[in-house]
Amino acid sequence: MMQSFFGLLRKIIQTGIGKTRLVMATLGLAIAMLLLLLAIQAHTDFDQLLHSQQNQNESADFLVINKKITNAMMGQPAKSEFSPEEIADIKKQSFTDAFGFITSNQFKVTAAAPGELHFYTDMFFESVPDAFIDVKNEDWKWNTGDNTIPIILPNDFLNLYNFGFALSQDLPQISQETVKALPMKITISKGLITQEFTGRIVGFSDRISSFLVPGNFMEWANQKFGNGEITAPSRVIIKTKDPSNPVLVQYLDDKGYTTNQDKIKYSKTKMIVQTIVSVIGFFGIVLLLFALLVFSMFIQLVIASCKREIQLLVTLGTAPRQLRRYLMRQFIPLYIVTGVVALLVLAGLQWWASGILATHDMFVAPMLSVFTFGAAILVVLLVYIVNLLNVRKYVAEIS
Amino acid sequence: MARLRKKPGFLYITVMQIQLENLVPVPLRDKVLQRSSDIWNREITFTPGHFVKIKAPSGTGKTTLVHYLYHIRYDYTGKVLVDGKLWQSYNKEVIATMRQQQVSVIFQDLRIFEQLTAEENIELKRVMTPQPYCTSEKVKEMAARLNVTHILSQSGKTLSYGERQRIAIIRALVQPFKWLIMDEPFSHLDEENAKRAAELIGEECRARGAGFILTDLDHDTRFAYDSHYNL
Repeated sequence: MMQSFFGLLRKIIQTGIGKTRLVMATLGLAIAMLLLLLAIQAHTDFDQLLHSQQNQNESADFLVINKKITNAMMGQPAKSEFSPEEIADIKKQSFTDAFGFITSNQFKVTAAAPGELHFYTDMFFESVPDAFIDVKNEDWKWNTGDNTIPIILPNDFLNLYNFGFALSQDLPQISQETVKALPMKITISKGLITQEFTGRIVGFSDRISSFLVPGNFMEWANQKFGNGEITAPSRVIIKTKDPSNPVLVQYLDDKGYTTNQDKIKYSKTKMIVQTIVSVIGFFGIVLLLFALLVFSMFIQLVIASCKREIQLLVTLGTAPRQLRRYLMRQFIPLYIVTGVVALLVLAGLQWWASGILATHDMFVAPMLSVFTFGAAILVVLLVYIVNLLNVRKYVAEIS
Repeated sequence: MARLRKKPGFLYITVMQIQLENLVPVPLRDKVLQRSSDIWNREITFTPGHFVKIKAPSGTGKTTLVHYLYHIRYDYTGKVLVDGKLWQSYNKEVIATMRQQQVSVIFQDLRIFEQLTAEENIELKRVMTPQPYCTSEKVKEMAARLNVTHILSQSGKTLSYGERQRIAIIRALVQPFKWLIMDEPFSHLDEENAKRAAELIGEECRARGAGFILTDLDHDTRFAYDSHYNL
C-alpha cells in the first residue's frame, strides 16, 4: 500500500494528544468570529436602516441650524447671529460636508396677488447657495435687469394655507400648479425708493422653511436697498452624511444651537446600538485572542510531545519547511470550516432579520455585507499568520 | 516542493567533498590527544567516490565521529568542511536538502520509527523527496535480497536488531547520495546476511558514483576499500 509522506507523518506526529485543546480553540474561534462578524453586520444593517433611500427622505442630509431663542435674548437680534469664529468652528467639524449661509433681506418686501384676489402682505426673502436647494428648475435664475424674480416657497407654507387657513376662512384651496401660474406683484423698498417686480413661484422646498430667492438677486437688492452693512447670518445650513451622528447632536447641544429635531431623532437610538455593537465586537476580539492563545498552546503541546520523533525526522532529512507545512495543513481546514460556518449562521440570521424587519417596513439587505465577508477573511488570515509564526518558532526550536 | 529542486543550493553541492581540520571532540579531548590517530586533530580530505574504512576500537569516539560527519553533534573543536564550507554555515533547509539528496546514513542505533511498520519506515524516506529516487518495486527487490520481505508489514516495535539493521540499510539506500556514512552497519547480522548487505551497498554506491565512510571495530575485507584510517 502506497502512502504519502504526510500520511506517514500523521502516524508519527500524533495530533490526537491535544484534541480537547484543539476543539476548545476551534470553538473559541468560531464564537469569536460569530461575535465579531455579528457586530460588523449589525453596524452595517443599522447604517442601512438610517441612510438608505428606501428608509428615509434624503433631505435629512441637510440641516438648517440656528441659535436657540431664549427669553434673555429677546429684543437683541445680534445675539442670535453667528460670529465668524463660530462659523469657522462649524465648518471644521468632521460631520460638516458643506456649509452655507442663509442670507436675509435688508429691505422691506411686500407681495400682492394679481387681479381681484385682494391679497397683500408684508414678507421677507432669504437666499442660500444653490447647492443646498432641493428644487431643480430652469427658471431658478435671475440676471441683473430682469423684472421677474423666481421664488421658492416652503411646501409647509402651501399646506398651512390649504388645510388650515383656506378651509377655515372659506377660501379656495390652491394647487401647486396654480400657485406657479400666479404672477405676484413684489414691491421692494427702502424709505422712499421702491421698485416693482413680478414674482414667480418656481418650486416648493421640503428642505428649507423659508421664502427663497436667487443669491445674486439678494446680493443686488441688499446692495441697492440695504443699509450697506453686511449683517452676520443668524441661520446657516450644513450638509451632513449622517444627521443622527451623536457627535453632531452633542455639538449642537453644547453650543446651544438648534435644528429640526425630527431629523436628529435617531441619534440616541444610534448611540445605544453603537454601544451594544461595540461591546459585542470587543468580546469577539477578546475571545479571538483567547482562541489564538489556546491554538498556540496546542501547537506547543503537539510539538513538545513529539519532540524525539520530529528530531529523528529532521535527522533523516525532513525539511523544517515540510514539517511546518504538515502542521499547518492540520489547521487550515479548521479555519476554513469555522469561517464558512460562522458566515452561514450569520447569513441565516440576516435573512431572517431582514424578513422580520420588512414586515415593519424597514429594509435591510437579505444578504451579508461585503464588510462581513472581508472581516471573515481577515480573521482567518490573522489566525493563519499567528499560528504559522507559532509553528515556525516551535519547529525551529527543536529541529 | 517544486521549489526544492530549483534551489541553487542543490546544484552547486554536487561534489560533496568532506574535509576535517584539527577535529577534536571536546568530551574526549584528553584521551584523543594522548594517543595517535589518523583522524582526530589532523587535516584529512575524503575524496568523493572513495570507499573509506575507519577502524575504531571501542571508546575512541567512532559514533561521535559519525555524528560530526552527519552534522547532528557539534561539541568539537576544529572544522568539518563540506565543499570548503563549514557545516555550520549551511542553513537548516539546505542541510535537509543535502540529507535527502547528497548524504545518507546508517546509524549504529538504527533509529527506526516504532510506530511505523518496517515498510513504512523505508517508504517515509523514499517519499520524503517529491520525486522518489527509486520505485517501490526496487524496495521490494532490496528487501528480498536482504531476506526481510516477510517482516515488511511488521511494526517497527516488534523487529529484532538484525531486522532493524537491514531495514535501516534499505532506508539509507532509497535516496540519491554522494556519500553514505555507516556506523557498524553489519554489527547485528550473521555472516551470510552481512555479505549480502555489503554486496547491495557496494552495488548501490557504484550505481550512484558515490563513496562511503564506514566505521567498524575490526579489520574486514567486505569491500575493496580505497583508503583505511585508524581512529
